[in-house]
Amino acid sequence: MLNMKNVSKVYRTDTVETHALREFSLTVEEGEFVSVTGPSGSGKTTFLNIAGLLEDLTSGTYELDGRDVSQLNDKERSRVRNEKIGFIFQSFNLIPELNIFDNVDVPLRYRGFDAPERKRRIEESIEMVGLGSRMSHLPAQLSGGQQQRVAIARALAGEPRFLLADEPTGNLDSQMADSVLDLLTEINTAGTTIIMVTHELGLVDRARRNIFVRDGRVSDGVPELHLADLAAG
Amino acid sequence: MEFGPVWRAMMRNKGGYFLIAVQIAVTMAVMVNAFAIMQERSFKMGRPSGLDEANTFALVSVGFKPEMDSKALISEDLDLLRNTPGVINAVATNSYPLRQGGWSEGLHREPGVGKSVSSSAIYFVDEHGLETFGLNLIDGRNFSPEQVSWDKDSPDPWPATVIITQALGEDLYPDHEGSYVGKTFWFDDDNPANIVGVVERLQAPWPSWTGVERSMLVPLRRESNDVRYVVRTEPGYRDQLMLQVEESLANSSKDRIIRQVATVDEARKLAYLGDAAMIKILTFVISLLTAITGLGIVGLASFSVARRTRQIGIRRALGATRPAIVRYFMLENFLVSSIGIVSGAVLAVGLNMFMVQAFSLTPLAWYVVPVAMIILWIVGQVAVAGPARKASGISPAIATRSI
Ligand SMILES: Nc1ncnc2c1ncn2[C@@H]1O[C@H](COP(=O)(O)OP(=O)(O)OP(=O)(O)O)[C@@H](O)[C@H]1O
Ligand SMILES: [Mg+2]
Repeated sequence: MLNMKNVSKVYRTDTVETHALREFSLTVEEGEFVSVTGPSGSGKTTFLNIAGLLEDLTSGTYELDGRDVSQLNDKERSRVRNEKIGFIFQSFNLIPELNIFDNVDVPLRYRGFDAPERKRRIEESIEMVGLGSRMSHLPAQLSGGQQQRVAIARALAGEPRFLLADEPTGNLDSQMADSVLDLLTEINTAGTTIIMVTHELGLVDRARRNIFVRDGRVSDGVPELHLADLAAG
Repeated sequence: MEFGPVWRAMMRNKGGYFLIAVQIAVTMAVMVNAFAIMQERSFKMGRPSGLDEANTFALVSVGFKPEMDSKALISEDLDLLRNTPGVINAVATNSYPLRQGGWSEGLHREPGVGKSVSSSAIYFVDEHGLETFGLNLIDGRNFSPEQVSWDKDSPDPWPATVIITQALGEDLYPDHEGSYVGKTFWFDDDNPANIVGVVERLQAPWPSWTGVERSMLVPLRRESNDVRYVVRTEPGYRDQLMLQVEESLANSSKDRIIRQVATVDEARKLAYLGDAAMIKILTFVISLLTAITGLGIVGLASFSVARRTRQIGIRRALGATRPAIVRYFMLENFLVSSIGIVSGAVLAVGLNMFMVQAFSLTPLAWYVVPVAMIILWIVGQVAVAGPARKASGISPAIATRSI
């Protein structure tokens, strides 16, 4: 469902050119749970941003759901982000001025759902992450783990096919991290494709497949871990 | 639209929005009332004097020989003036509308000493006054030549016939319906005056006097070395004849000098100098205040955008298009502005009611408040457009790139 070929991304400032991705190629099938690891600065976030249509690519091709998405205009990109992709960020990225209910509501409004439909989806997804009693709380009134669960509820309320997570447990202690990962595993089992960037090798075995990024490419040196294959072998 | 969340988000940061709303409200109140004053002044300036203003000028002959025959000179002068080609008519008079100096008298409905019931400006003229001033006689008739008498500076007794303005009639006889012609009033104890004619309009010489529309023509030539002549010309001949007449009068007698040659247009300008200045000042105040409010909105919106850079990136990541971001800030401004504008409207009307009471200002025309509201809404939306456009340019990558 995600197919990148020879994607490169160059950041240009007045003085430096940074090749954040070079000839990056990757295919992810529907229903996969892929973890992305690699040293700091290797291009993981850049990859995720391009995959999530948050940034343009410099060259190469990117197909999502069989459609070339590298040439879309801003309106179409916004729409793909809104309908097909859910984002989970390291720093939760809830909107501080809005309560939990309104936070989850944000992408649904851009989607154009009517009020009853939005309400149903918001309540369902907040219930799903176990925060049904906190709907009118502000983000600042929740723990980090709870905030990240709200972020997951927000990402899932629109029922995206595709969930992108950048260090979703980076700001959480291990107990909270576990509960978030349990949730992601559950979501993946229910059919959502997940790509998760992480530093922590301990999380890698949660995923069924790991790719290792180094220097802006899917590393040749370290073989992709196909945990499912290993288990089978 | 996302009215609810925008409103709730604003309510969590009341301070800045509150100040802007107050600023808008004050602007609204000042704007509306300044406009009301301007409107009143410009209405005042727009009132016709009753004269054929565009074609009329005045001048003064000052005789400097004590023993001169001023009666004869006046008659000669008037002959000269009235026989000058291009002159419609001319008259010797004590004053004319807009001159800001003149004669007024208290009037009584009954003979005998007592309180006067009205007052009026007095114009001493002969039977040519009506035509020279260009007045519209709506009732009765003009003076006949026999009714015009000669007298020294102050009339004693007062002439027994007068022509009054409609407004003076209404003030003198508030309960009377029908013609004022034939009615009598008294200048003082024993000086009755019979109304022979009514003109539609002839202002007193003082534009700011509350009784400005009350005046009368009194058929009297005054024997004096100082005479004021008012001259009405055919359209388009005024400026040319003004020079010509000044010269021919000066040449006709060496015993006097000609002074204060001025058009009625000039007199009007002078008479309304203060009002015109007031209008200019208030226009400036309104513009300045509106501009400051606009800049305040730009400032608040810019600050609000800067403070929310990250949140805007997040919204973009979650699917907001650029126009959706612009709409967010436009809507936010619309809400703040509406609070300011609506409370400003209440404030404006309240202030106006006070001013109507305290300074007997005319009440606001119905459209002033709605128009001011629309103007301020537009100012708000225009002011917020720049910051909003800037906000829509924020990259969605902010969501992953900043901590
Ligand atoms: N907006 C930008 N302008 C210039 N250079 C950038 C920009 N964003 C990222 N880079 C550079 O691109 C490279 C890849 O960055 P990226 O954020 O993808 O790394 P990462 O693998 O996510 O690192 P980390 O594990 O620390 O999050 C880095 O060298 C980074 O400095
Ligand atoms: Mg990163």
